[in-house]
Amino acid sequence: MSGGVRSVAVVGRDTAAWVIALGLRRALSGIGVKVSVVELPSALGPADMHATLPSLANLHGVLGLQEEALFVRCGAVPSLGQQFAGWSAAPFVLGYDVSRPAINDVDFVQFWSLARRQGMRVAFEDFSLAAAAAKQGRIATARPGKAGQAPQPGYHLSAPAYAALLRQGCVAMGIEIRTSATIAAERDGERVTAVALDDGGRVEADLFIDASGSERALIGHDGFEPWSDAFPATHLFTGALPPLDPLPAHARIVAAPDGWGGLFPLQGMTAVAGHAAGEEAAHRIAASLGPVRNLTVRRFTPGMLRRSWIGNVAAVGEAAVALERLDAGESQLLQVALSNLVALWPVDRDDMQEARDYDRAMASHAGNIRDFQQAHYRLCDRPEPFWQAARAAAPSLDLAARLALFGARGIVSHRDDESYEPQLWAAMMIGHGVIPAESAPAVDRTPPEEAIGKIQQLLHVIAEEVRAMPGVSDVIAAKRAGR
Amino acid sequence: MRVVILGGGTAGWMTAAALAALLPRDRCDLRLIESEAIGTVGVGEATLPQMRAFNDAIGVIEADMIRRTNATFKLGIEFVDWGFEGSNYVHPFGAHGHPIGGVPFHHHWQRAAAAGLADPIDDYSFAITAARARRFDFPESDLNSIRSTYDYAYHFDAGLYAAFLREFAERRGVVRIEGKFVEVLQHPESGLIEGVRMESGDIIAGDLFVDCTGFRSAIAGATLGAAWEDWSHWLPCDRAFAVPSERMEDVPPFTKSIARGAGWQWQIPLQNRTGNGIIYSSAFIDDDGARDLLMANLPNAAMQEPRGLRFTPGRRTGSWAKNCVAVGLSSGFLEPLESTSIYLIQVAAMNLVALFPERADDAVLASEFNRRMDMEYDRIRDFLILHYHANRRDEPMWRYCREMPVPDSLAEKIEAFRHRASVPRYGEGLFSPPSWVSVFFGQGLTPEAVHPLAGAMPEDALAKQLAAIRARIADGVAAMPRHDEFVTDYAEWGL
Repeated sequence: MSGGVRSVAVVGRDTAAWVIALGLRRALSGIGVKVSVVELPSALGPADMHATLPSLANLHGVLGLQEEALFVRCGAVPSLGQQFAGWSAAPFVLGYDVSRPAINDVDFVQFWSLARRQGMRVAFEDFSLAAAAAKQGRIATARPGKAGQAPQPGYHLSAPAYAALLRQGCVAMGIEIRTSATIAAERDGERVTAVALDDGGRVEADLFIDASGSERALIGHDGFEPWSDAFPATHLFTGALPPLDPLPAHARIVAAPDGWGGLFPLQGMTAVAGHAAGEEAAHRIAASLGPVRNLTVRRFTPGMLRRSWIGNVAAVGEAAVALERLDAGESQLLQVALSNLVALWPVDRDDMQEARDYDRAMASHAGNIRDFQQAHYRLCDRPEPFWQAARAAAPSLDLAARLALFGARGIVSHRDDESYEPQLWAAMMIGHGVIPAESAPAVDRTPPEEAIGKIQQLLHVIAEEVRAMPGVSDVIAAKRAGR
Repeated sequence: MRVVILGGGTAGWMTAAALAALLPRDRCDLRLIESEAIGTVGVGEATLPQMRAFNDAIGVIEADMIRRTNATFKLGIEFVDWGFEGSNYVHPFGAHGHPIGGVPFHHHWQRAAAAGLADPIDDYSFAITAARARRFDFPESDLNSIRSTYDYAYHFDAGLYAAFLREFAERRGVVRIEGKFVEVLQHPESGLIEGVRMESGDIIAGDLFVDCTGFRSAIAGATLGAAWEDWSHWLPCDRAFAVPSERMEDVPPFTKSIARGAGWQWQIPLQNRTGNGIIYSSAFIDDDGARDLLMANLPNAAMQEPRGLRFTPGRRTGSWAKNCVAVGLSSGFLEPLESTSIYLIQVAAMNLVALFPERADDAVLASEFNRRMDMEYDRIRDFLILHYHANRRDEPMWRYCREMPVPDSLAEKIEAFRHRASVPRYGEGLFSPPSWVSVFFGQGLTPEAVHPLAGAMPEDALAKQLAAIRARIADGVAAMPRHDEFVTDYAEWGL
């Protein structure tokens, strides 16, 4: 064994590169690992955004980012969920709930589905504190209330502003940054020994991180497995619309005949992102959302590398896993990549056996996120050929089993390495129209009158708590003021 | 839904108790067939902390159980001579130390130990220190307290426990039918089980059957022919002798497992006696040799003649098939090395409650049940094999175990530990990282490196931290009552 990793070079662009560089620098400062960045030209347009889950707060703790900066500099708008419209019979909000209501220790889903089958009309989302708040444009405060733990918001962030903030953090930490329009890798077998820059310079490192997005500048495209059957859209489009008024506390994801388009509120604008079957479809879907400015359309193929760490090159972000802009999966997986890189920081710079464990962790997390995203497509009941094709794609065995079990019984089957809590799975499937065929027999332990009473009480408690929450604009104003 | 549970014993009565407590009474009619003429194996007199969740879920009051089953408390398992002659480690119910600088404790410990700056890793575990001092108290809920860093389980008389649960279940409407059944009645076309014919000629009909017939596996194996996955090439022990001995003075709050030349010996201390046994591989020692070895090494005088048992390690693939769910030994056998028998019954019973069918033959629920159980079996299996495989002993059985190919899922875990002290971390099923830490180190594996971040802490600061942890543990343990007295008081007063 020749010794530990002395230097890491992050080769890439935008948020993925800066998050990883800053994260590694902060985590590894105690052992003197040199972190440098080879900055490739940004691929971001002015209207690009990131949607994040509530767990982003953990990442920012690691990165040392202040929440206030997100509001002042990155146009942050807090978000408690996503509204899905045009996918299934009725639109619904998938809220980021922290807790799951239960009646006498039996999951609330069991009671809701029983009541639903008996004719109750109240939608499942109405029993979600996060969804109810999101629909009213309100954001929870941190304090737990009667309806369970208060849901924490995720954010919508301006991607170029967020990347700039992170870049500044990297500079402040003394990370050396070299810019180059293109790079050429010098290789020795599977290993990269150095990266040659346009200006004739070279960057050497023991470990390289490929954060170059779809370019996969170091890791290459070999072994990329597309998920085109399940996600038939071929293009990603982004753009901007004027701000919504009042500002919603959720994203809005609208299904179209041959793709979908999303509205993601930011301060001062509404970011648009979506996926479509072809360029024309992308323009059509964008136009259906409003007078979109700065529209850009690019080819985009969801899928992932079979090996995301080869030799001394580890891929992160879109270079490793290309996800549709659904369910804030992208930022979630970037966090997974960072935490695994730190946890699996190699002990031997010449023999990085940790690659296998990194591959496995990434594949496991990504598989679960993909299953969650694919479930939207499987459960969408639109008649167009695009959607028929998506439904015809075979789900993974895990997803097939999960959908079958929930459809039969309203039970969410647990897996290791989950990004989405069981309550999100349940809300997603019910939102798309799944009504479990049966309830667990244990519901009968609660007399019907008691169950009805508790169900009504839950609605009241949620209404009361949501009324007490501040509106999203007030929250933004307060956060901007550093309160 | 008419549910018929075939067989009493721990599996039968735990399942009956769980169904009776957690399902609405008018939804199912619960009957249990058992014969006083058929003995029970009386598996697992030692349990895991998950047992407490089972008691809480079904409404068993701990103090009642302790009193009725001659129970004692358990903080872990002591392994003697495992891995190599002279070894001694405890697999604790609780953590070793605490993470420092975001890096798990055992990396720091390994680094300090390599530099000669650390005591044995056991000394940094509250559960182990308390166990060795033979002290016990309930853990505290204040997470800042050192006395919140452990959990506990029980040793009890499995026969008394079954009887205790029988009473519990019968009070909740379970009907016990005394007698032997002689034939399983199966629908000729659907293959569904329709009932059993009793020796008396009576037919007991049902919609759902729970096979708790032990090794006989009367429905799952004998009738439905569920395939048996044989694991004996990984877990070579296939026979056992069990015998009770007189009560130990100063009852220890831990199970003891002593490695022997062709197997291992257990000691499970109860209030009134000690459960003993030897479990061995018939390929490497004959029955007489094993029995003599056991009888020559009892802590106190034997109270009976030893009783022999035979088994094959492995499991049935698909323990829920048609309208029959196999629970306990009828679904598989894993030796009691890590006290998992009752845990596996508990998990099966609770999964059956969660997935209780409305129809006789529900393939979706059955497949989720089987997925969950398969995962539990697989993960426990790997953990058990580790105890056998990682050894430097000289006897032929141990040599065989050292040289045998292990499942890939285990080989990768061992490799990751050797390489960088990584331990498995997964969300579902047994075991959690502290368990792997204790067994990896305890069996004598030494990692070649630790997490590079552990190197960030100067050695003198590390030594100070380690000493501080030891001191906190010592103070906490000194304030605890003796286990022996604790049990006596608790059993008497329930306080």
